[in-house]
Amino acid sequence: MNKTLLGYVPNESPIYAIHPFVKLFFLLVVSLFPLFVSAPEWNILLILIIFALMWYSRVNMKTVRIYIPVAISMGTIILLSYTVLGGIHPEYQLLFRIVGVHIYWERVRDAVVVYFRILPMIMTMVFFLTTSRERDLIVAMCSIRAPFVVTYVFAMALRSAGMVLEDFQIVRQAEQARGFDSAGKSLIYKIRKYVMYMIPLFALSLRRSEEFTNALVARGYAFTGEASRVKRANYILTHYHFSTVDIILTAIIGLSFVVLLVLRYGFNYFSLEDSWIMDWLRQILS
Amino acid sequence: MPELVEIDNYTWQYLNTDRPALQDITLTLKEGSFVGVIGPNGSGKTSLAYSIDGLIPGQYHGIKQGAVKILGREVETYPRGELQRQVGVVFSDPESQFTAMTVEDELVFGMENLGMSIPEIRERLEWVLDLTDLGPLLNKPPYEISGGQKQRVALAAVLAMTPKVTILDEPTSMLDPMSRRRVFDVLARLKSEQKNTIIVIEHSLENLIPLADRMILLSEGQIALDDETEAFFQNIDLLLEKGISPPGAMRFFHELSRAGFYQGGFPLTVEEGYNKIKKLLQGDQA
Repeated sequence: MNKTLLGYVPNESPIYAIHPFVKLFFLLVVSLFPLFVSAPEWNILLILIIFALMWYSRVNMKTVRIYIPVAISMGTIILLSYTVLGGIHPEYQLLFRIVGVHIYWERVRDAVVVYFRILPMIMTMVFFLTTSRERDLIVAMCSIRAPFVVTYVFAMALRSAGMVLEDFQIVRQAEQARGFDSAGKSLIYKIRKYVMYMIPLFALSLRRSEEFTNALVARGYAFTGEASRVKRANYILTHYHFSTVDIILTAIIGLSFVVLLVLRYGFNYFSLEDSWIMDWLRQILS
Repeated sequence: MPELVEIDNYTWQYLNTDRPALQDITLTLKEGSFVGVIGPNGSGKTSLAYSIDGLIPGQYHGIKQGAVKILGREVETYPRGELQRQVGVVFSDPESQFTAMTVEDELVFGMENLGMSIPEIRERLEWVLDLTDLGPLLNKPPYEISGGQKQRVALAAVLAMTPKVTILDEPTSMLDPMSRRRVFDVLARLKSEQKNTIIVIEHSLENLIPLADRMILLSEGQIALDDETEAFFQNIDLLLEKGISPPGAMRFFHELSRAGFYQGGFPLTVEEGYNKIKKLLQGDQA
């Protein structure tokens, strides 16, 4: 098993044959798809395709389960924002009225459309995070010739996030060992006592920063990547080769996006007028 | 030919402190020497290491007097990245010095910064992997391996840069006895095969003594004792006075000497002690 940014993927997974750039390209391009698609059925289809890709990549699907509560609460918030908090619109079709709140068809429709746009975008990100390691991100950024300073600062940010979380655990355990534990206490109490964690965490972060800076200087690091006035080699990139399959996949992803745009703006595909889900929903609610 | 390390009447005081961290240090180190530096906490050992690596005065504010020269040139006159070709430091906390996401990235990071070519990086990587036995860990994140492995990664990352002087600042302070042994095994191989100049700041004397050609005792920022290892440990009274606890075999013979049962040099290791006792007993029997 290899640890990815969001779980574990077996060593035998076919995803490792794919160049990290293709995965990043997939994330950046495919997450744009829902923005041009109004009909929810197409976005649901995209979610199913992403699930199929995750299954094919042998991602532990239990990882995805943690997103179910997120998806439910997100849907609830969107629906409430559009309907209960959506205001009064006499020009819209009133479906019903609950304790003085007007529920309009157009607001329900918009909530459903927005929800099914956000969901596949999140799933695309989840797919990327469950199949990529930190190194993949760096390699992908290096592949597109991102400046060294950008890739390395990004890598340091990833590294720092892990370190801060680790330090937080250490501080928490140290506080618990001395009898301080906020488990089971009220939210107000937790917020008030949070400073007990924050002060040592802040002090630890300062020390870490100093040590990390020393380590960078000791390794001859410079932001420009040219500490010794010579261009910096990128050894890790030698492990990755952009194969024919990678070229084909990149082309498929790029072409799919072009086809989607042509269908959307040339032939008015993916619009709400042709959506059978919306028709069905409207019939039920009316 | 200039000395590899030449410290001349050097004093360093951090800002907002009452007394100098290092005072009137005069020291020269020749190529290929293995030097142990010992002293109680706060005696200036780390400040000495940082001064040789240029972290002082580069990264710290304070008042400096005297000179610290590497190959005849003052450390602060080296351009960034140049001094790191001459001096490498392994810090006591391995985790805080990790700068990359996998062991392999970590090992090549310094070499990339120094502008080495890909074939050269590959060659040195193979050498350092053979030396430190880290091959099976290459793809693992450095912060997910054991403490001993982490310290070997930190050591390997510095050795890969093949500095003329390698300084290890309490490299085994966070390790169990087995892991300590493995780190010192690497140093032993390095000493016998590469003839590197190595400075080890260490409290674990049992492992250090068999390797060190020369020992330096720092106390309150000053050199209290500087001699060849065997001669150094004949001054047990001074070591005890300065808060250093010599290894058991040495202390045992010291006690025998004080009680008038033994005259002669103190053994450096348990094996030497065993042989001395054996000789004494055989002498008695004869």
